[in-house]
Amino acid sequence: MRRLNAVIACLFLFVLTVSAAFGDSEIRILHINDFHGFAEPYRPFGSDEMLGGISYLSEVAKRLRMEKPSLLLSAGDMIQGNTWANLFQGESVIELMNTMGFDAMVVGNHEFDFGQEVLKKRVSEAKSPVLGANVRGLEMLRPYVIKELEGIKIAVIGVVTEDTPLSTHPRNVTGLEFLSPEETLRECIKELRGKADIIVVLSHLGHHADRALAERVKGIDVIVGGHSHTKVEKPVLVGGTIITQAWEHGKALGVLDLTVADGKIIKFNGRLEEIMPSLVKKDQVVSEIVEKYKQRVDALLNEEIGEAEIDLDGENVRRRETNLGNLIADIMRQASGADVAIINGGGIRTGIKKGNVKVSDIYSVLPFDNYIVAIKLTGRQIREALEHSVSAIEEDAGRFPQVSGLTFSYSRSAERGSRVKEVSVSGKQIEPDKEYTVATNDFLAAGGDGYRAFGEAIKASSDFSVIGGMMKGERIVYSDSSRWLKDIVVEYIKAKKRVSPPVEGRIKEMVK
Amino acid sequence: MRAYINGRSVDILPGMKVKHALINAGLMREIESGKKVYDEWGNELGLDGAMSEGMRIFVKEDIRNTSPCQR
Repeated sequence: MRRLNAVIACLFLFVLTVSAAFGDSEIRILHINDFHGFAEPYRPFGSDEMLGGISYLSEVAKRLRMEKPSLLLSAGDMIQGNTWANLFQGESVIELMNTMGFDAMVVGNHEFDFGQEVLKKRVSEAKSPVLGANVRGLEMLRPYVIKELEGIKIAVIGVVTEDTPLSTHPRNVTGLEFLSPEETLRECIKELRGKADIIVVLSHLGHHADRALAERVKGIDVIVGGHSHTKVEKPVLVGGTIITQAWEHGKALGVLDLTVADGKIIKFNGRLEEIMPSLVKKDQVVSEIVEKYKQRVDALLNEEIGEAEIDLDGENVRRRETNLGNLIADIMRQASGADVAIINGGGIRTGIKKGNVKVSDIYSVLPFDNYIVAIKLTGRQIREALEHSVSAIEEDAGRFPQVSGLTFSYSRSAERGSRVKEVSVSGKQIEPDKEYTVATNDFLAAGGDGYRAFGEAIKASSDFSVIGGMMKGERIVYSDSSRWLKDIVVEYIKAKKRVSPPVEGRIKEMVK
Repeated sequence: MRAYINGRSVDILPGMKVKHALINAGLMREIESGKKVYDEWGNELGLDGAMSEGMRIFVKEDIRNTSPCQR
């Protein structure tokens, strides 16, 4: 046994000596992307397995970092998404990242969702550099950082999608310019010539764009990607560039091992370590941070934000106009400045009893992460949408509407498709060819519950562009994925203090 | 923005995600029953993944559950 150990030790020394003689170095890049504040393990939609949990991921990262010199990187979209992050505007995530010792991150499009002042605060709290080479107007973001491992200089450049202004509220990006990632990278690479051995791009562009980037921009050794939530189980080589991405929500940790000789990558090997809480231990320090904010989440959800002066009816939203449906539809219309709001009753999951209203009450009423979209529809399309909305009333289907800014009557006994009778907007009979701005949620805008009218309008509005930070489309007037509807309702009730919305005959069932 | 699911075109708003494309195509139930979403290179996608113009995605059985001959 002693002899075997001696042989193994000799072999190990031999490998080390040969490696050193040839100047080879082994380094490792650990990476995550699109964490979106999912601090705790969860069961993904359609799956039976619990996955993720940042304290488990942290423990795996710690073990892997001990094996060889490593960088821990994030390819963006860290601070917004889950309630665990949103209620603290991402502060909780930055505390995690500081504790875990991230080496760098790039801003994702959702890092802008709380506005620039909040983002500046988060960047100032971060102990590691926050990158954004193609963002002009936010000086705190650095274009790149140079790290050194085993004497190898590694430049990490960060780029974010040019489409950022399309996926957040325009006010969040006022005064900022999102330059072409391709052009920006060419400039950075030129500047880094002679200063770095290896160029790593932290890309929040999406896997599709990463592949195109690798083909078009020479000099990138590695792209660590995000944005498309792609599970790249084995890194791919495109045009001499290694491309990888580690899925989403901390459900996997990306591991990329590089062998470097004379400042060049001569070998790579990568994998994803799926984070299965049943199989790994927790990092206790990180777990305590998760728990600390979890308790604060519970306290904030328990916060009383106002008072319902009457019962708010969430039980009958699939059958008739209700005061809670009216309240939510009114808030959506007001927030988006639309003429009309139409939502699906099925999106309202429960009611609220007369008395104090807590944040958790609103979250129970609106449990989904929906946001407001406003689209121009013709009077004819609105009528079609309303026809659809009452087409399955016999089944208490979720498509039954709650509305604001319009009134309509329908007959249950009429044939499906001709049940809607009188429709008025702001007290005037609807005009078939006139355009009205209609607020709804992203679910219906995408065609959920079988609504086609919004989709038809989107189809007709194929040309989108960003002009002065605003998304301009022929038919699209508002789309704010940076704020959940439930949070807008919470803010409204906080501001109003007392609510007592009436049922006022917006939806009338004609009785023979 | 136009994308394609299983070869069929879907029109969604810029900034919308994989789940919106699935809603548009009426395929969310398939996901609930265990199918997964893949890109054109066979990588699995998260439902909150960003869509891009012309992107092609596919809803299929979980490839881990299929035999090599079916892949």
